[in-house]
Amino acid sequence: MTEALLGFAAVFALALLRIPLAFAMGAVGIVGLGLLRGWAPTMANASQVVYDTGFAYTLSVVPLFILMGNFVARAGLAHELFRAAYAFVGHVRGGLAHATVLACAGFGAICGSSIATAATMSKVAYPQMKRLGYADYLSTGVIAAGGTLGIMIPPSTIMVIYGIVTETHIGKLFAAGVLPGLMCAGFLMLGVVWITWRDPAAGPAGERTPWPERWRALGDIWGVVLLVVVVLGGIYGGVFTATEGAGIGASGAFFFALARRALSWKLLLQVLVESARTTAMLFTILIAAMLFSSFVNFTTMPGDLKDWILRQGYSPLMVVGAMMVIYVVLGTIMEELSMVLLTIPVFFPIVTGLGFDPVWFGVLIVLVVQIGLISPPVGMNLFVLSSLLKGVRLSEIFRGVWLFVAMLVLALVVVLTFPDLSLWLPSLMR
Amino acid sequence: MTPARALLAKVCGVVAGLALFAIMLLTLSDVAGRKLLSASVPGSLELTELLMVVVIFAALPLVSLAGEHVVFDSLDRWLPAGLRRAQQLVVDLLSAGALLGLAWLMWVKAGEMAGYGDTTAQLKLPVSPFVYAMSVFCMLTAVVHGILMWQPVVHHHVGVDDAGSGTA
Repeated sequence: MTEALLGFAAVFALALLRIPLAFAMGAVGIVGLGLLRGWAPTMANASQVVYDTGFAYTLSVVPLFILMGNFVARAGLAHELFRAAYAFVGHVRGGLAHATVLACAGFGAICGSSIATAATMSKVAYPQMKRLGYADYLSTGVIAAGGTLGIMIPPSTIMVIYGIVTETHIGKLFAAGVLPGLMCAGFLMLGVVWITWRDPAAGPAGERTPWPERWRALGDIWGVVLLVVVVLGGIYGGVFTATEGAGIGASGAFFFALARRALSWKLLLQVLVESARTTAMLFTILIAAMLFSSFVNFTTMPGDLKDWILRQGYSPLMVVGAMMVIYVVLGTIMEELSMVLLTIPVFFPIVTGLGFDPVWFGVLIVLVVQIGLISPPVGMNLFVLSSLLKGVRLSEIFRGVWLFVAMLVLALVVVLTFPDLSLWLPSLMR
Repeated sequence: MTPARALLAKVCGVVAGLALFAIMLLTLSDVAGRKLLSASVPGSLELTELLMVVVIFAALPLVSLAGEHVVFDSLDRWLPAGLRRAQQLVVDLLSAGALLGLAWLMWVKAGEMAGYGDTTAQLKLPVSPFVYAMSVFCMLTAVVHGILMWQPVVHHHVGVDDAGSGTA
């Protein structure tokens, strides 16, 4: 127990020194295991972990989904999505904000990244909201929060990584995210209703779109629908694996971008390099987290903590609830993926030991990551918006997002109390 | 960006990017071949594995070069500039050290694999050159951190700057 606590303390100390978190986790993992177990077996173990993570066919799902998201963003499919959503809800108060949430949800079904979703939507939705005189705190808040739907509605990079480290079925995780994702979208729209009720000037209504035009706008999103049906349908239906689905999705998105003349050789290379860089960054953390967890798993901490908690006789739901509180609080200041990877070796055995479904816990993890991504002071989506929308102050973005943070916390409570919401769809899978 | 840095970025970028594109096309043709022609691409699994190594490790110097590693930078604004500079030196020195350690580890591993003559199962491709490549790219990344000690970059969050560049 003590060794593991020292290890955690060392990682945090190094991280505070501003050492990249991956290097801190990896080094502490190797040194810790070396001291406990001897250097020769530790070195052999470490090089095996790096080797296995590098040469892993199933892990190619990560770069392929990232690539798909980047191609889709480049292809401009988001414009049609936004237009279709606007056609249906644009005429109500705060209609553009509602349309933003809906378009984010649709975009989330072809893109697995919260940052990419928020970045794309800021280009598509923000200028429209600005034009109609929307208050910046509402428009940036709703884009930042809507962007997080990208990781709950499948595909989802976070779910893939959670699935890999905990050996949970990725297809089932994807299926589990659908209903909570739609619920989150609903909650965010309630947030918009609340804001525009308190401050009607923040989000005036747009023009009404006649029905024939609505159907036409809906018809224009066939590209998105096709991608969703083929990729997600194929994975759920068992036609192909998540990895294969990701490859097909990336290719499909590539051909879309090509057909719309959205790619030059230079842009193609740029998309590829961008995706490779994101992949390398993620894998550095992934490999480091695996090195760190092979140290933590060698200590008695996960077992001790699990036994202690089981002996205390706390209600299982309270234990998971406490974990969620820790995550939400930590998520305000920590980068979310590393927070999750750092804590999984300790938390995951407790959760499964209490008899909970790893798929359900995965959905909870995604929700706390969503919340962390938009909760100030350290929220990646907020930084994305502040860097893309130069005219808006970060404090303005912070001000608008709190209500949406609260809505997602509410969603977390619902997912926590009603596991069937997440587990019903995966239970239908073969 | 100095010419040396630009060249390194270009070479690593092209290598990693093409490897990723190859994985995509390989997966597509493998699935299409299997579903439509009931003939999969031979050895596509192991080719993907070898290419994955190239994607991850060739892009690693780029991640360091762009300052994209996840760091805890919330304390930055409270540190005086001089101290920040000193901190940068220490961080890059330690990062380079960690990467050299990893490079050494993989070099030893590659030597062992070359000794056993390890090959992939189906196509009988030798694996050790790829493990040597892992090691070399780690060394290159260590060199990048060596350069950054004298020419620091500002940390930037992945996707943020990229997002600014395109997706119109």
